[in-house]
Amino acid sequence: MDTITVTIKINGKELKVPQSITILEACRRGGIEIPTLCFLEDVSKNASCGVCLVEVKGARSLMRSCITCVYEGMELVTHSARLREARKTNVELLLANHPKDCLTCLRNGNCELQTIAGELGVKDERFVRTKKLELPDLTSLSLVRDQNKCILCGRCVAVCSNVQSVSAIDFSGRGIKTKISTYMEKGLGNVACTYCGQCALVCPTGAIVERDETESVFEALGNPDKFVVVQTAPAVRVGIGEAMGMDAGSLVTGQMVAGLRRLGFNRVFDTQFAADLTIMEEGHELIKRITHKGVLPMITSCSPGWIKFAEHFFPNSLAHLSTCKSPQQMFGAVAKTYYAAKLGIDPRKMVVVSVMPCTAKKYEAKRPEMMSAFEYWKDNRAWSDDDAFYDVDHVLTTRELARMFTETGMQFPALEPEEFDNPLGESTGAAVIFGATGGVMEAALRTAYEVVTGKALTDINFTAVRGMEGIKEASVEMNGTTVKVAVAHTLKNARRILEQIEKGESPYAFIELMTCPGGCLGGGGQPIPTTWDIRKKRAESLYAEDAQKPLRKSHENPHIAALYEEFLKEPLGEVSHHLLHTEYDKRPMLVKHMAAEV
Amino acid sequence: MDRPQTLSRELQAIDTIVAKHKGRHGELLGILEETQLLNEHKFLSEEALTYVSLKTGVPLSKLYNVVTFYSFFNLVPQGEHTITVCRGTACHTKGSRTLLNDVGLILGCSKELQNGESFFTTPDQRFSISTVACFGQCALAPVVAIDEVIYSNMTTAKLQKQLGKISKKGKRP
Ligand code: SF4
Ligand code: SF4
Ligand code: SF4
Ligand code: FES
Repeated sequence: MDTITVTIKINGKELKVPQSITILEACRRGGIEIPTLCFLEDVSKNASCGVCLVEVKGARSLMRSCITCVYEGMELVTHSARLREARKTNVELLLANHPKDCLTCLRNGNCELQTIAGELGVKDERFVRTKKLELPDLTSLSLVRDQNKCILCGRCVAVCSNVQSVSAIDFSGRGIKTKISTYMEKGLGNVACTYCGQCALVCPTGAIVERDETESVFEALGNPDKFVVVQTAPAVRVGIGEAMGMDAGSLVTGQMVAGLRRLGFNRVFDTQFAADLTIMEEGHELIKRITHKGVLPMITSCSPGWIKFAEHFFPNSLAHLSTCKSPQQMFGAVAKTYYAAKLGIDPRKMVVVSVMPCTAKKYEAKRPEMMSAFEYWKDNRAWSDDDAFYDVDHVLTTRELARMFTETGMQFPALEPEEFDNPLGESTGAAVIFGATGGVMEAALRTAYEVVTGKALTDINFTAVRGMEGIKEASVEMNGTTVKVAVAHTLKNARRILEQIEKGESPYAFIELMTCPGGCLGGGGQPIPTTWDIRKKRAESLYAEDAQKPLRKSHENPHIAALYEEFLKEPLGEVSHHLLHTEYDKRPMLVKHMAAEV
Repeated sequence: MDRPQTLSRELQAIDTIVAKHKGRHGELLGILEETQLLNEHKFLSEEALTYVSLKTGVPLSKLYNVVTFYSFFNLVPQGEHTITVCRGTACHTKGSRTLLNDVGLILGCSKELQNGESFFTTPDQRFSISTVACFGQCALAPVVAIDEVIYSNMTTAKLQKQLGKISKKGKRP
């Protein structure tokens, strides 16, 4: 703790603040707002925009408050005509090279550049364009980068390297040619990017956005020949309200269901059903690995960014990954086999849309192996490859669903809550908490404990694995053996866990890894902004929903029991093997043709 | 891989370079500079850079950052001869744009010039043409450097003569 304080004067008023904090921080503590653009708390201070300028008495030029520290006796002015002019000029310089595309931009109305330009009263274009126009990067299925809208704040670079330890992007060139690049301008789809979307979540402008699929979904909904079902991930119910103008972390499960019905989905189902199914499969896989001396620790596999990360950076450790598909993919496979058969409809006519807090899910749905329903049917029905379809057809992020609601004129907060459809809409509290870091672990422990010991848990809350700490540990006694588990979120922490495993020093039997800070509730497809405060609020709502569910353990879900009885027969059985489990690829670390060489 | 032998020789040499620079001040720049010199066309090939990344643990995006920041790194093969036209203000007012166009006409690559590329190599790999923001020789404007020799008060006629000399002398078999 920094206890040395200094006295400074802000706009003539004295203030005592700790030494070594920045002017910006000091002002915020004193209740004074200084406009900022490139600065983002906990993420980056690149000091590139010059919006946060202040006057410091005795200094020749204006100072950037986001990086300048206070000192004893410092005297500041934070608001003046001179400052307004300087701040405005700096924004105008950024705008000189910025396409004025607001009307067709995905960030319209939620853009920090647009907001600051408005606040500073930018009215005309004073400066001429100096940079060449660039083509957008369309190489990834999850994200689109438009360099022309980039203001070089460096937030994306900082997140990708400091939070995710991926470094798929960095600055390149210099002077007027400075931009954000992938290696050799190959594009996100051709480098070791995990598609986590954390860069899109922090970008102040529309320079990195999700690949928008709303039009395809509207089209499917308008097609009378299609039977369109939707599944919603746990974290969406604590994010979509926020995106529709409600308070951060608002729990709006019922309104979300109602809104989806208004959009015209034939059935509104829940990814949480598949989360319960995942627990059944993954819990049994863990027990089998422990009792049959399989590869341990076993690591969860529901987070596609983490999977791609492991494939690129730890190709020799893939045997540690659970073979379970993610809940999204299990849902698609079950919907187009079991449910289609139950309804008697042609699975080729079924369209599965998922709403996810995640950009990487868009890519996961299009992994070539994710066509297991087609594989399941094709031999019996003599279909050709022309009939092929994915288990999940379209993936929308929370932000895209919000746009669909807005575009159809939905008064979201006023909707009367409604219930999910059955059978694929029923879920337990264990599935709800999948959306928070530690949730999959807790859900798995609730089931594994009871399956292994045959006894009911006295306290089903495993609080040791909750909370926002980067790496959490716990030990659970089961029939006399102690099972050590760990939970980590962000890929930087995942890397630490994996390095420990590769050194042979991992003490754990089971590990939950999530790509995004806070787990899915902090996913790259969630509403912007997503700060730590907001993440905590979303987590609270998820745990509150869990606590009020009548059933809180996956193996108690009656529709899951029915699914096994009628169709799958047993966890890890033959049908599960084909529909619910998968394999992973060693991906070239970096550039494709080098992998063979090295 | 079209040139497996040369490549693996190059990669082995990179091993040595990386080992030599380990822990030294300015390690990365040193490694990249020497790696570039290994290549007969004096550039950092994708293979070489990828290998440097694997050996040093520096992410590829970061390497790309470095090699695009410093102008002495080349990402495309260099011609046998280099022609650098100064595009600073002084040279510009003394007609360096015309000189650049002349280079294009003489060497038959006006199209690249019109596309505004600031660096390119002729398809026969004989000449690399580039521009600089300023040589710092403004008093002698316009200035053109040919094979690192600076020619002052350049004119179209002088340019033609110099390039003609090189063309005759260095004819490839
Ligand atoms: S990034 Fe912001 S300012 Fe730029 S076009 Fe999009 S909404 Fe407008
Ligand atoms: S999606 Fe994730 S891994 Fe890819 S560039 Fe963005 S932050 Fe980095
Ligand atoms: S892409 Fe966005 S986050 Fe990255 S530097 Fe540009 S404006 Fe900043
Ligand atoms: S916020 Fe300080 S320079 Fe951009």
